This record gives sequence, C-alpha cells and structure tokens, in this order.
Amino acid sequence: MLFKTTEEHEALRSKVRKFAESEIKPIAFMLDQNNEFPTEAVKQLGEMGLLGIPYPKEYGGAGLDYISYAIAVEELARVDGGSGVILSAHTSLGAWPIFGFGTEEQKKKYLVPLAQGKKLGALGLTEPNAGSDASGTQTTAVFNGDHYILNGGKIFITNADKAEVYIVIAVTTPGIGTKGISAFIVEKGFKGFTFGDHYDKLGIRSSSTAELIFNNVKVPKENLLGKEGEGFRIAMATLDGGRIGIAAQALGIAQGAYESAVDYALEREQFGKAIAYQQAISFKLADMATKLRSARLLVYSAAELKENHEPFGMESAMAKQYASDIALEVVNDAVQIYGGNGYLKGMDVERMYRDAKITTIYEGTNEIQRIVIASHIVGKAPKEESYAKKKGSGAVTGERKKQIFSDGTPQEQVNALVETLKKDGFDFTIGIPVDTPIIDAERVVSVGKGIGSKENMDIAIELAKAAGAAIGSSRPVAETLRYLPLNRYVGMSGQKFKGNLYFALGISGAGQHLKGIKEANTIVAINNNPNAPIFKNADYGIVGDILTIMPLLTKALGTEEKKPAPPMVRMKKRTPKKLAKNYKIQICNGCGYEYDQELGDDEGGIRAGTTFDKLPEEWICPVCGEAKDQFIEI
Amino acid sequence: MNCVRLVTDDLYWVGTNEHRLALFENIHPIPRGVSYNSYLLLDKKTVLFDTVDWAGGRQFLENVEYVLDGRPLDYLLINHLEPDHAASIDEILVRHPETVVISNEKAFMLMHQFGFHIDGEGKTIEVSEGDTFSFGDHTVTFVSAPMVHWPEAMVTLDVTNGVLFSADAFGTFGALDGKLFADEVDFDKDWLDEARRYLTNIVGKYGPHIQALLGKASAVLDKIKIVAPLHGPVWRTDLLYFIDKYDKWSRYEPEEKGVLIIYASMYGNTEAAAMKLASHLSEGGLNKVAVYDVSSTHVSYLISETFKYSHVVIASVTYNLGIFPPIHNYLIDMKALNLQKRTFAVVENGSWAPKAGDLIEEFLNEELKEMTVLSSRVTVNSSLNESSGRELYELAEALIESVNEE
Repeated sequence: MLFKTTEEHEALRSKVRKFAESEIKPIAFMLDQNNEFPTEAVKQLGEMGLLGIPYPKEYGGAGLDYISYAIAVEELARVDGGSGVILSAHTSLGAWPIFGFGTEEQKKKYLVPLAQGKKLGALGLTEPNAGSDASGTQTTAVFNGDHYILNGGKIFITNADKAEVYIVIAVTTPGIGTKGISAFIVEKGFKGFTFGDHYDKLGIRSSSTAELIFNNVKVPKENLLGKEGEGFRIAMATLDGGRIGIAAQALGIAQGAYESAVDYALEREQFGKAIAYQQAISFKLADMATKLRSARLLVYSAAELKENHEPFGMESAMAKQYASDIALEVVNDAVQIYGGNGYLKGMDVERMYRDAKITTIYEGTNEIQRIVIASHIVGKAPKEESYAKKKGSGAVTGERKKQIFSDGTPQEQVNALVETLKKDGFDFTIGIPVDTPIIDAERVVSVGKGIGSKENMDIAIELAKAAGAAIGSSRPVAETLRYLPLNRYVGMSGQKFKGNLYFALGISGAGQHLKGIKEANTIVAINNNPNAPIFKNADYGIVGDILTIMPLLTKALGTEEKKPAPPMVRMKKRTPKKLAKNYKIQICNGCGYEYDQELGDDEGGIRAGTTFDKLPEEWICPVCGEAKDQFIEI
Repeated sequence: MNCVRLVTDDLYWVGTNEHRLALFENIHPIPRGVSYNSYLLLDKKTVLFDTVDWAGGRQFLENVEYVLDGRPLDYLLINHLEPDHAASIDEILVRHPETVVISNEKAFMLMHQFGFHIDGEGKTIEVSEGDTFSFGDHTVTFVSAPMVHWPEAMVTLDVTNGVLFSADAFGTFGALDGKLFADEVDFDKDWLDEARRYLTNIVGKYGPHIQALLGKASAVLDKIKIVAPLHGPVWRTDLLYFIDKYDKWSRYEPEEKGVLIIYASMYGNTEAAAMKLASHLSEGGLNKVAVYDVSSTHVSYLISETFKYSHVVIASVTYNLGIFPPIHNYLIDMKALNLQKRTFAVVENGSWAPKAGDLIEEFLNEELKEMTVLSSRVTVNSSLNESSGRELYELAEALIESVNEE
C-alpha cells in the first residue's frame, strides 16, 4: 500500500488552500486582534460546499470521505487556527450527531441545512461541573407530555452564538448518572435560550466561544435525539469523531508555523549565510518536519478507519493527542527560529503560538486522550460499584441542599429563608385549604412532638395558612397525642407527601417519617437540635425553637388571605428504556456460554476488557472447551 | 396394535403419545400430555428418523414393525440425542442388527455416554452440515442447529419431498391424540399457549441460536413444504405463521402490548393490590391484562406469559427481609432463560421493613438484560390505604402510558 492521499484529495486541498490564502490569511491578524468571527468567509465556505464534506449528497453534503474533511480543516487552520475549529465544531460536533443518531425527519429538517452550509452547528456538552466527566451534567430536561423543559447552562461552546442549531446534552432522569442523560436538538431563537458573553481567549480568537443559557426552554419532543438515556453515548461517539477534526486543526496550525519558519530561516542571514543552513536551525526544521509527517499519517489513518467503519476510537485519540502535543513543540520552535521578531504582534507565528495551545485542551484534554488510548490497551478498569448500590448512600430523602440559615438574629434567618424560597419560585400569595388531603397537597406544614401543648397547634395552623399549605404531623402527634386525625400524619406507614414544599417543624427525622417525604421537592427543617437527622435530609434549615420561629415565619410569609392555588402539577418521573450493550456478545455453539468482554475470562487468563477478536486463537470456551471459531455473535 | 399415520406418500408417523407423565423433563407440568414423534421413510432403503421416549417403547416398536412390514431397517437417522427421542435407539438396534446409524460427531459421543451399543464395524455413518445422503428416490441434506437446545442438534431436509425434520424446533407440549397436522386443530386457540410454554422454557435461553437456525432456514425456505418436529403437530400449511412466532420469541420481542401481573400474597393484601391495579388498567382501556398468583402457578407458565407480554408488574411481599421465595424463583428462572427487553413495574408490601422492592429492582437491573424498571414503585404497608391506593392508580397511568408509547 502507498501512504499517500489521492489526486482528488490534493485537488480539494488546493481549492481550500487557495480560498484560505486569498480570503482568510489577509484578515487573520485583524480577526485575532478584534476577536472577530469571519462571517463572510464562513458564508463562502458554505457556498463552496465545504460545510458538509463527509455527508451524503442526499442530505445536502458533498459526499466526500473523512480524509477530505480533515484536509479542509487542516488547510483552514494552516492560515488561521480559529477558522479551522469553526469548520471542525460545525461538521463533527453540530452535524454529525444528527447524521449518526437522528431520525429521517430530523435529518431532513436539521442536517440538510447544516450540510448545505446554510446554517452553522454546535455542541453544548461542557458545564462548570461536567468537563472531562459528563456525569456531572446539571442541565435538566423535564418532559411535560409534549415538550422537554430545558434549564441550566453550558460553557465554552465553540460557534456560539453564531450557530443556529445546537446539540444539547441534558439530564432527563436524575440520580442514575450518565444513564439518565439525553441529547436534544435546540434551535437558536427558542424562547428562553440565550447566550452569555463571549470569552476573551488566549488564541483561536476568530472563533466565537460563548455560554449557552437555558431558562425554561420548551424543546418539542420530536427534537429528542436518539432515545432518552442515550445522550452520553451520543456525546462520546461524537467526540470520537470530533477528535479527528481537532487533530487536523492542530496539524494545520503547526504546518502553517513550520512553513513560515522555513521561509524565514531561508531569508534571514547571520554569520554570512541564511540561518536555515546553520545546523542549530536546520536540525530544528528537520525535527519539525518529521513530527508533522508522523502527525499527518496518524490523522489521515484515523480518518480512513472511520470512513471504512473500522474501529477508530483509539486511533483518533492517538491522532488528537499526538498532533496537538507536537503542534505545541512546532510552534515553539517556529517562534524560536524567528527570534525576537516572532515575539511581536502581527507575526503569524506569534498568533499560531497562542492558537496551538487550546488543541491539547478541548474536545477531551490530552490526559483524557491517554485514558482512552490506555483503555484500549489494558481494557476498562474492573467494574466499580454500580450506581444502583451507590444510590443508597447519603440521606434517606436523597440528594438535598442542606443549607442552614445561621447568620444574624432568628428574624434575619427567617427572612433569608423566605427570600430563598421565593427565589426558588414559590409564590406565597396563593395557597390551599389547611385540610387538603396530604396526598393532594402541594405544600404541607408538619409538626412533631416538639410542638408541646395542644394550644400550640393553633400557631402551627396559622403558619400553614401563611404558607398556603395543608397541616400535617409526625406519627406520635396523631397517634399518641391525637392533635390531628390519623389520616394527617406523614410517614412510611401514613400519608406520603409528594408535593413541592414540606415544612418539618420540631420533627427530628425518624427514618419512618423521612421515608414518607422522600419525593418532596423541597424540604425545610426547623428544630432546636442541630444534630437532628432532619437537617441532613432537608434543603433548608433553621436551628431554633419552633415556638420562636413559627410566628416569625408566619409574619414573613404574609398573613393576608391567599388566592386559591391552581391544581398541583406533579412532575412525572421519566424512566429511560434500558439500552442494549454497545458491544457484541459472543455465544458458544457447544454450550451457550456467553463471552462478555466486560468480564473477560478469569480462568482462561483473559483480562476484563478484552474484546473477542483480541482473544488468542488458542483460547477455548471455559465451560465446554469449544474452539474460538465455534462462537456466534449477537 | 399399531397406531400410525401417513405424513405424505411414503413417509409415516410412527411416534407415541404420553399422558401419564406429570412433569416433562421432571420439571414442567404437562396436563395435556406430549407426543414423541418419530418418522419412517419407505424408500429403496428404509429410514427411521429419531426414536421415542422409553415410556412409549412398546407402542413405538409395534408401529415401526407394522410399517416396515417385514422389510429390514436400513438406516436410523438421529437428529437429537435427548432421551425423550433417543432412549429407544438401543432397542431398535437389538431388533434390527442390520441397521446403520446416521448422525453427527457430537451425537455419537453422546450415544457412547448414554451407553448405546453402536460400536459394530460399519454400523455408523458420520455426517456434518452440508452433506447429502440418498436413500433411493429421496435425498436428504443436513443442517446443524447447535444449542437448539443441545449442542449436537441438527435438522434434516428431504430435498425430494420438502420435509424438514426439525428436531425440537417447532415442537410443542400436548399429546396429538389421533391428530397429526396443525391444520387439523385450531392451533392459535388451543395450542399456541402450550407451544410458547414449550419453546420458551426448553429453548428460551438460546434465542441467538434459534435466530442462527432461522437464518439458515430462510435460505432454503422455498424448498420446505412440511415441517416435522419431534413433539406436537406436523406443519404442512401456513408455515410462516409459526416461523414468525419463533422469530419473535427468539428475539425476545413481546407478542402483545399488555400487562402481566404476577403477585405474591401471604394473607390476601398484596393480592388485593394486584386486583386493584388490574382493574385500574382495565378501566384505563387496556384489554391485554393477565394476573397470576405466583404461589399457585407453575413458573413455566409465568415464563411463557412473560415472553408474551410487553410489560410485567411484580407485586411481592417482603419475606424474611428478602424477596418472597416463589418470586425469587421466577426471577432466577428468567435469568436462566435469558429473558430480556421487557418493561417492569414493582409493587412491594411490607409491614415493618418493606425490602422486596429494592431487591427485585436490583435483580432486574443487575442480573437481566435490557429490563427497564419504571420508577413509579408502589410501597404498601400491610394493606392498601389512601396514599398507596393513589400511588397504585398513578402506577396504572404510568403503565398505560408506557404500553401505548411502545
């Protein structure tokens, strides 16, 4: 085989290079200085058919291969790193998830204009607490029957706010980790979808990078990409391919810096000859060229594997990691060759020096790339404790905010609490009758034995009225003290509260009681014992005597007549369909034993994580001894 | 006295019916009995396709001799070595020392293990997939069917008359009682349930292997005119009806969008919850709802019904801080049979420490494949009250929504 691109590849390279040199290179410095997006050039890229290179013609693409796409990114990045990532983020991150996981309707509606270059695409994955680890995703998408309501935000999003189509990763089922994450197609212009300020970046300043902000954004259910719960897989598969784009971008930046350094070295004379002929410099050039060729072969080979539907996850990680690592070395050498001149604004190598750095960071840091590569060598680490078991840890009522208001006087604490509740969206001008059945109540004020004598119940009922809540109690208050009828006590054996706001007053938090409020949206605890378990199971708390706090709270919430509350809308919990394993299982024809790569075969000395094709030829079924070729795949 | 039936031209059914056996494989109840099918071909050479369980030996031998009518038995062709078909091999060979046994390598190994006397010089012919063999006018070809449901299993296609000797594939519980062909009975009404119970409990684990066999069969489908299994009726019409059922079962795809409720109740309180849930579902417009008491229903029926329906509700009491043992047995059997791709909901009962729900859900999530558990778990404390009653109603709504979504 000949490791060489085809004539068609090189023709495309010439076409893109000509465009980049005439349309982008002259303005690259200006774009960098002004933090400016090359709107006109991107429009022209679209018209030239370069925004849909690897997609079939029926979806508006150019129907070319993945190497062609890598070459186009490389050539743009060769003159301007920012322009390279505009194409990469659009093609790999914005369009590809729709191509790979979209329905026919979604492809027609969204992929076609993206591939035709009429619209720009982007991916919203990263969040403050979900960078390398997507399981920290906090953006939520709650299904209401017709729509998903999106809330939260994304940071560092390439092509925001220029893009019109965004793939957004959000949690649809909380509490089950990455299995509860889904992907959505969100259009710019959806109500409540806005952008934060543009980042002032070290490099790639011609690309636009901004925050995405979702405030009750209604996303039609048809815009769910793939299945619920499939979002993590979609994101990971997208990044697998996206890495080739970033590798090509790094390659292009380094190539541009290298060519510039060669030209400069041949021009600049010292000690009576061009510095290119000084060994100190020529050796640098030799090393730079060698690194570039290695990186290029890695990038094109990964692209070729992807094009031919061969496994390419490890190879694309190698390409991204290596190309970006050597890009930093190459741009560093280029600036060194330029000497003092290279340190000045306006010199392309100065800009490339800054542009290159991001390529070792985004779309998976190079540390993450090494994790990916290593996992293909030594397999996945043995399975850690599953989420189902982990789920049991922590409080009985699940994840809670546990915020205690302890600053200032009781009055100030109460005010802070009420402020926070209002900020959370609770409206205390509306309310429900105090005798609303617990199961139907949106809010409940519940008292424990801390209430003391029966007269104090009146204070509690006043508070319930002020809070627009029904009155409830712990079990002893109903069963032993008989302050309330039996059907008003809350707990595992009594009534379960599944509404939005629960006040636990003088309730220490017996397990039995806590099990009855597991599904409460917000729990407020007031108790004079700071060590009472209720505080670990509450969102907000005040440590103090309830007889002191209750009247203050009543006043702060307002004693005016409440308007009737609209019927309670209870959020339905979504259960994502369990996904099939995303790898093949092999079954023995001799006995039905299943080889699962996640488990390996301990007895046969096969490490967990070993894929079936990597099993040695002499491996036999550990149960019945059939040979490897007697296995069928499902 | 003989009891045989003509299958076609020169091919006879010489099998037997079994009514006195309570448990098939000593595990599955067979209230309607079972048939052991064996077929005898009178070509230039005579060929017996498989034998019967030893229990039917006497009738079987009479049948064989009657059809042979004094001719020698040239060949005994064995597709499947399980003793309900192979137990009479030795007796046939004792009576017909001239007989040559045709089978595959693994089957001969098993014959030795079971102690059959097949060691005479030139008394065996080993065949493998793709081989053909002629008996005169009839030529047969062999297709291996490993792990449907034993490793040696194969099926034999007579390419001359299109009869597929399908071994245990396409078999069913239920004695024939004089009938022979599926078109002589109302199969969908009277036999399908038992056919499903047979397939899912006996071969259910090996869905991928059935799929592999169906794949091979589809290549020669136009050549197959008659399917002659080792249990139950022979198929000569509407073959695709039954093939389609096999395709569904072996892909673990439900036949019905509906809800199966399996409950465990010690004193009737969990049963009351199951009944209440079932009536909510029916009121809500679902007409495919089936309810079973796990304690009085043999698990083979529960497995079969679980293969049939898309959704399953397990309603279980907590027992010794664990899962009620018969429910546990059902879960373990589902795992053994590779049952997958269903949507479950859990109703648990416990008077002081309800625990069954967590354990059942963990089993479904961790031990089985692609089982989705709806998050709307209902916990009953001793007996339904206003609160748990409401939850039950909401569970019914969630189930109806989920069934309609599929």
